[in-house]
This record gives sequence, C-alpha cells and structure tokens, in this order.
Amino acid sequence: MNAPIQWPKAVNEIPKAIFTDAELYEREIETIFHGAQWHSLAHRAEISKPGDFKTMLLGRMPVIVANGEDGKIRVFFNSCTHRGNQVETASCGNRKAFECPYHRWMFRTNGELAVCPGSEEFSPGFDKKAYGLRELRTAEFCGLIFATASADTPPLETWLGQVAGTLAGALGGDGRLKLLGYQKVRYASNWKAYSDNDGYHAPLLHVGFRLLGWQGGQGSQTPTPNGHLAFESQLKPIVNREFLKDPSLIDLKATDPESGSRIAQLFPHTVITKHMDVINVRFATPISVDCTEVHYAYFAHADDSEELVRHRIRQSSNLLGPCGMISMEDASIFNRIHIGSFTPGNAAFQKGVKRFDEVGFDVKQNDESGNLPKWNYYCELMGFQRSEVA
Amino acid sequence: MLGIDEASLALVDDLQRRYIEALDRRAMEAWLDCFSQDADASYFCIAAENVEGGQEIALMYDDCRARLTDRVTFITKVWTGTFQPYRMRHFVQRIGIPTLDHGKLCVVSNFHIAITPEGGSSNLLAVGQYEDTVVLDRGEPRFLRKRAVYDTTVLPRYIVYPF
Ligand code: FES
Ligand SMILES: [Fe+2]
Repeated sequence: MNAPIQWPKAVNEIPKAIFTDAELYEREIETIFHGAQWHSLAHRAEISKPGDFKTMLLGRMPVIVANGEDGKIRVFFNSCTHRGNQVETASCGNRKAFECPYHRWMFRTNGELAVCPGSEEFSPGFDKKAYGLRELRTAEFCGLIFATASADTPPLETWLGQVAGTLAGALGGDGRLKLLGYQKVRYASNWKAYSDNDGYHAPLLHVGFRLLGWQGGQGSQTPTPNGHLAFESQLKPIVNREFLKDPSLIDLKATDPESGSRIAQLFPHTVITKHMDVINVRFATPISVDCTEVHYAYFAHADDSEELVRHRIRQSSNLLGPCGMISMEDASIFNRIHIGSFTPGNAAFQKGVKRFDEVGFDVKQNDESGNLPKWNYYCELMGFQRSEVA
Repeated sequence: MLGIDEASLALVDDLQRRYIEALDRRAMEAWLDCFSQDADASYFCIAAENVEGGQEIALMYDDCRARLTDRVTFITKVWTGTFQPYRMRHFVQRIGIPTLDHGKLCVVSNFHIAITPEGGSSNLLAVGQYEDTVVLDRGEPRFLRKRAVYDTTVLPRYIVYPF
C-alpha cells in the first residue's frame, strides 16, 4: 500500500500523486463517474434519426444512447436483462431493434423487451414488461444528451449553473447541429491531467499563435463551485496571414470575432468548444489510471450553407484535434504532465493566485487560478482532508 | 504516360517506397516532393469509421498544394520542441489491380505503421489503406491525391506526422 495522499493546506497546490494512484482511480470511478454527476454522452445530431444509436462508456459501465422510433432519446445500460450479455457492439449505427445474440431476446429502440423465445418455460410469473433494458436518468441541453447513474444528481440546469450560457454559445446558440465526423484518440494521461489542461491554455505554449501574430482578444474565465469552467473571448484578426500559403483555412466565415471563442469545460472532464468556425464536443472516457480516451466530435450548424460546411470541415480537421495546428501541442502536454506526476510533492498554480486559505472565483482570462475551484470541489468530493504536513 | 503495364507499376511502387522512406526519415520536404506540383495536389488522412459513416472530418485535410506546404511548415518550424520525437517504420503493399483514368493511375495499398517513441518500446501506430491517384509530374510519378484511410478506430496517441 502506498502512503496515504496528503492534501496540502494551500489551495493553490495539489498533490501530484492523485494523477498516478490506482486505488484513488477506482474510488473516482465509483464516486464521480458512477456517482451524482451528469455526464455528456452524445449530441442529438449524432443520432438524429429514429433507430440511430451510439454506444459509450459511463465510467466503466457500457451504455447505449438510442433515438427511439418515437423520436425520444434514451440511455440504457448496454447489458441484456436476461443474463447480462453486452447487447450492442457497434460504436454507432441504426437499428429497428437491439437483439442480444445469446438467447435472442429482442429489445425495441425504446428499451421494451419485444421477443424472448421459449418464455413458456421461464420462471413462474415471468413478465416481459419487467425485463426492458435498464434506463438511466437522462437530460438534454441544446441537444447535448446527459446521463447519470445516480438518483441524487441535481437537475441538469442546476448542475450546469453559470456555465449554461457559454455552453449554449458553444453549441451554436440553439444546439441545432449537424454531425461532421470524429477524431478519436487515447492519451497516456490520467483523466484529471487531461481535463486540467484541455480547456485551460497557457498562451505561451503556442508558437503558432506568435508566428501568425495572433493575439488573443479580451476575454473572461468563470469557474463554478461544482467544478465547471467557462471561457469566453474575442478573436483578434491574424496579423501575419502570409505566414501561411493557404490562409483561407483560418478565415472566420460564421463567427463574429467579438464572440469568437466559447469554451465550456464540464466537470469531470467534457470540453465543449466553439473556436473560430469549429464546433467541437470532446467526449472523454477514463480507461485506466494512466489512459484517457477522447472522441472529438465536430459539428456544423443546421442552417449552414454548403460552402460554410466545407469550410468547417477543413478548419475542424486541421485546427483543434489530436494533430491540429493549434492543439497538437496541448496533447503533448497531457502526456508529459502525467509522466512528471510520478515524482513526489505538489503541483503549484501561480498565475492569478491571491490567497492560500480559500479559492477565489474572480479570475482573469489567462489565470491558472481558474482551475482551483474545481480542485477544491474535487478535494471535498473525494473526502480528502487538507493538512499542514504536505 | 502511365499504364497498367510492368514498367508503370514499377514506377508506382518506387513512388510508394520514396514516400514511406521520406516519412520514416521524417524528411518533410522529401514527403512534399512525392506530391505533384498541381495546385490541386491533395492529402487526406481519415478514419475508416468516418468514411463509412459518410462523414468528411479527417485527421489531416490538405485539399490543395498550399495546405501540403503549410503542413510541412508547421511540423518543421512551428511545432519544434513541443512534442516528444518518435520514429516510424511504414510497411506498404500494393493490393489489387490499379485502374487507369485519363492517364492517372488509381492504386490501392495496405499500410502498417510501427512507432517507437523516444526512449520507449515499439508499438503499432495505425493500419489502413492508401487510396492514391498517381500522375507523371516533372517526368516522375507523383501523387495528385493521396488518401490514407486508417482502420485504427481509436489512435493510440496524438499525431505529428502524416500517415
Ligand atoms: S443474455 Fe441476452 S438473451 Fe440471454
Ligand atoms: Fe491550446
């Protein structure tokens, strides 16, 4: 057994061991991922037609997000109510019904058990109605579908709190989106190291910005007490367009530079971003203590012209994903933070920190301190006691 | 003129060798030189899952020669020092019979890319198929269009170099 993790007293420090401790990871799966939080699993645009479905993991639990014949989106455990076999293996598709291959039980897209061969020999009083796929609590915001395995999770709007406005802005305002496709990747990084560094950006990291003479515009950063973070900022035009042979890639065609960038980072680790003309939801899943899978889903707005869709496809493909002109560097940081975290001691946040005894919510656009309310929330949620020792 | 004859196929195979040799050396100018000078010369690296779903988002979407050039600039100038270096070994095998379309040869090949990160052990990076359109350009076969369609549903890491 490892020595218990000591959480330092100063609120701007976090123990590096939390990124590498396998027992803690197991507790996080139970407390956070299977616990009283909402987890975004899909956008309606990914499963827009009746019968469309998508499979995901909620923590360790396999789930199916299904658009029913009745046009209602539900989330089910991806486990047959007979003997527990995984029902659906495809990552997405369209089905008239979900059929379990083991004993051929067949479930309607609304979850009801429709067929179960040989049921006359089943246990006394067997009732098909009691054996529909098990449904999770779901809620929707601007087309984003959330689920939770807990009855204690507060209503979605309450849970989103102050981040709701930025989230709506990032999802095209009304959430009427059209799926453009995916980039899927795993990072050799604990989910917390991923989430701590994905939304937040050290402007110093990006040489590309400097070479393009691309100054970030005025902006704000708003943390919530329950671990979300909202970023809003202007986008200034690029000065050195001639640095690129094809500057049309970085044109703003659908975006008012005044509201060019909208990033909502939802606890525990989903990032929804609208940067330039890219609309992107990053669905993350913890795979193990040192591996995080991220599905970058890209969207256009339902009202876009064909020309605008084409522009979004080129810009989305090349800018913000796991080999994007802007974000490849972020990806390399996730891995390196993780490796560095195997050393003793604490990671310290500096920029914007004003006091050590309580976290502040008044943070400036590029302050590191914006991450601290989330760490404070996490610390309490996981039952750590702050101590002088560390 | 390229045809479906032994001599043309030998030229195409030689182009594939030049291409993977350039990437294995991480020699981006040599990679660029495998593409035609045509302003429409293009390179796409896209997940098979997207292709099957009729979705166009790619991992790399270089739909013109200028984009190819910008990709080289980013890898060689902008990203320097921000990523951990890694080596690659590409294995490529032409499959099926190429088809001829107005002097352009359409070729399909399987690819397999092994990766060795700095200080790490070797693993599989991606597998898939190249769908290539080859033309004669400056007296040599070059890609007018190259599309790397990768089967690897979830890539094992972030990506710096083209496939
Ligand atoms: S386990 Fe699914 S039908 Fe028996
Ligand atoms: Fe970044």
